[in-house]
Amino acid sequence: LSQMKKEPALPSRLVKQIFAHYAKMSVAKDSFKIVEKCLDVYFKQLSNDLEAFAGHAKRKIVDATDLELLMRRQGLVTNKMPLHVLIERHLPLEYRKLLIPVAMSGNKVIPKK
Amino acid sequence: MTLERLKAAVHYTAGCLCQEVAEDKEIEFSKQTIAAISDITFSQCEIFAKDLEMFARHAKRSTINTEDVKLLARRSQSLLKYITQKSEELASSNQKQKEKKKKKNEGESKGRSSEAQVQPMMADSEELDT
Repeated sequence: LSQMKKEPALPSRLVKQIFAHYAKMSVAKDSFKIVEKCLDVYFKQLSNDLEAFAGHAKRKIVDATDLELLMRRQGLVTNKMPLHVLIERHLPLEYRKLLIPVAMSGNKVIPKK
Repeated sequence: MTLERLKAAVHYTAGCLCQEVAEDKEIEFSKQTIAAISDITFSQCEIFAKDLEMFARHAKRSTINTEDVKLLARRSQSLLKYITQKSEELASSNQKQKEKKKKKNEGESKGRSSEAQVQPMMADSEELDT
């Protein structure tokens, strides 16, 4: 009874959809395997970096500032391209609502900072 | 004007270092090569300065310290090893200096407040005006 535990990964359909969307051309089937391998490496690297950044700020919990710092070092977030702009460009509305504070009626800001 | 002077200083140092390597490996560097190396060094310094600033601010500090430098070199294993070793050497030499000062201060009886640690590694990275 040796049940091999599958490593957690993004659903391959999702990966295919996203990759094909940005590639804007047809992609051979076997190339998706490589994309998934790259994703695996990417997440490993990402978690190492986030751990280092959180530890640097003497925290044990990764928070939004760590992620922003990571994206700055990746060159995604710059002075010309703030994080909020990236969020607005690439995330669906429901997630945008969670991340970007919006002033509502009755002197409320959602989400609370 | 300061930028030009800084570039000239970097160029000169790059020349000296290249000369050392040339003598060691018995090869020659053309002038263009040295100029290119000094240019690369200068632009790399800009990147380093910005990153160090970010790391220090991330830890809610306004002073860059050795931890930030280690975080900068984290990606390459050998470099990290080297820098950690160097920082340990610096720390130990600082401690020795402190002990010497303490002994001197005890001799003088009037103990002044201990001076803030000056880290020579950090001195030039903070003077970069971009």
